[in-house]
Amino acid sequence: MGNATDHTTDTTSSNVAGNAIDIVALTKRYGRTVGVQDLDISVAEGEVFGFLGPNGAGKTTTMRCIVGLLRPTDGSVRVLGRDPVAEHLSLAPYLGYLPGELRLYPELTGRETLRLLATLQGAAAPRQEELCARLNLTGADLDRTVREYSRGMKQKLGLVQALQHEPELVVLDEPTEGLDPLVQETFYTLLTELGRSGRTVLLSSHVLPEVQRTCRRVAIVRAGRLVTTATVAALREARARKVRLTFADGLGRRPLGAADHWSPDWHGDQAVLMIPPDRTVAALRELLALPVRDVTVEEAGLDEAFLDLYRGTGAGEEQAEQGARGEWRGLENPGEPENPGEPAP
Amino acid sequence: MTRRPSSRFPLLRLALHRRRRMIAALTAGMAVFEALIVVITTTVSAEQIFGAGGRNPPGAFKAFSGSNGDVSIASYPGLLGAGLTHPFWIALQLTAIGSLAAAAVAADVEAGTVELLMVRPVSRARLLAERTGALLLVSLLLNAAATLAVAAGVALSPDLHDAVPLGGVFAAGLLGFGFSLCLTGPALAVSAAGRSRAHVVGATIAFGAVGFAVNFVALAWSKAAPLRFVSPFHYYTPGDALAHGAVPWGQLAVLAGTGAAGIALAFRLLARRDLAP
Repeated sequence: MGNATDHTTDTTSSNVAGNAIDIVALTKRYGRTVGVQDLDISVAEGEVFGFLGPNGAGKTTTMRCIVGLLRPTDGSVRVLGRDPVAEHLSLAPYLGYLPGELRLYPELTGRETLRLLATLQGAAAPRQEELCARLNLTGADLDRTVREYSRGMKQKLGLVQALQHEPELVVLDEPTEGLDPLVQETFYTLLTELGRSGRTVLLSSHVLPEVQRTCRRVAIVRAGRLVTTATVAALREARARKVRLTFADGLGRRPLGAADHWSPDWHGDQAVLMIPPDRTVAALRELLALPVRDVTVEEAGLDEAFLDLYRGTGAGEEQAEQGARGEWRGLENPGEPENPGEPAP
Repeated sequence: MTRRPSSRFPLLRLALHRRRRMIAALTAGMAVFEALIVVITTTVSAEQIFGAGGRNPPGAFKAFSGSNGDVSIASYPGLLGAGLTHPFWIALQLTAIGSLAAAAVAADVEAGTVELLMVRPVSRARLLAERTGALLLVSLLLNAAATLAVAAGVALSPDLHDAVPLGGVFAAGLLGFGFSLCLTGPALAVSAAGRSRAHVVGATIAFGAVGFAVNFVALAWSKAAPLRFVSPFHYYTPGDALAHGAVPWGQLAVLAGTGAAGIALAFRLLARRDLAP
């Protein structure tokens, strides 16, 4: 499923009984447009799980299926053991959700907004004051209409409404959009606390360092399909090698034989290639037969490895396909950290 | 801040709160307009009305007097009925219905606010029920404003009091509420299935305008006469109610039944749809 992703490499997801979220072969179409296709994701209870992908990859569609706003076209979604649409009323008390494109009623004040949403939640909001204070939403801010709010302030209000009733499962779609760096730090701390308190968090982002910092495992989606599910640690280990070749003959760009498969990036006499770790030695043997003056090999930055997964050609495609087949080396047997809710190191 | 919130009907209150200025303006406009109609009517003496040769105006003019029967526009009930079928009256009703029906579902879907509402323990049926309640309350308010303005005029003017039974004014008001209900149902169904406020407002205006036109054509052209049965204005006959002082229960039942069917359809459509921008 999930484009034939082999979840045997994912030890946590095998414990179905302990999963907060189980998505099996989820497909959501909007007419002829495919939102997501054959998606398989499992998130363990108490896990802080990252959901990565570029804009339009299907993250928001998946999250809306999880919280019951969208009905799957095919496949199944179980959240805290319930069907999010059919059993919405019994599931919603345990959910906290921050939409990716947060929209609020502009004529309501911040305080009225929080009161309205708490009323609809039908539960006390024991963390409201504390969250407002920590996210720097003052009383004066809360007394202003949302129309007057900046994007960052709206996002803070969105975080408060998602967390104020202490939900068991928190679904956050691009939560740091518009937040200034200081508030982002506070948000990361909040996320860590949620993980420590045993709550499950699903966090979508297209910012890798954010997920890297806060999540233990991630699912990566591209064009509505699952590319891979892995621990952040495994992603780090599996990242490509950045091979930089400098040629001595001054002829510039030239064919590199089989290595052209890795889509070299040329700068004069210098070519930079991103090569999967298990192919690096073989590729270097071939490349060093050329008139190379200098060669450096380094681990690609995590951002670069991540971007490689997004690309539809070259090394990225190969890695993505390998990942989708569960063949991406380094993703196998990723091991379990001691505290599932803890952010990865 | 930690106590459990206890506000009742928050979605209904929200819909009314957000449109409170519009509701106040429409209500005031309706009351003033009907008061003007009453004042204008009282300035025309009975002799003038029947002396103008208007005893037998063309049949299509019944559309303007709110009558399917024998009530001519050249009569006090006919003139007051004209105030309750006047395009201004229709425009106020359609504005209220279109705006609040759009606010029921489609406007929240279009704006994206539906996401925040519907991830709470709120059923889709509750969302629509509260929003329908808000719409019906506003319709009740508008028709009450019109009815009370006309009733005050009838009570204060001896000429009108002689020609129009007060019970007929309230019967016409009840029929007006039935008319609102008749348009509310289909408008809510469009909202429940749609994702654009403009579509709901447009559909509501189309229901009203096409309904009026069909009734007018059916009364003016004998070959099109059967078409009158599909127009709400065939059943909304305030002129007849004002003249005879009785509620035409059969017609009210048709109007209310159509509205109820539309509302039932809206619940069904909302239960099956996706709720996201």
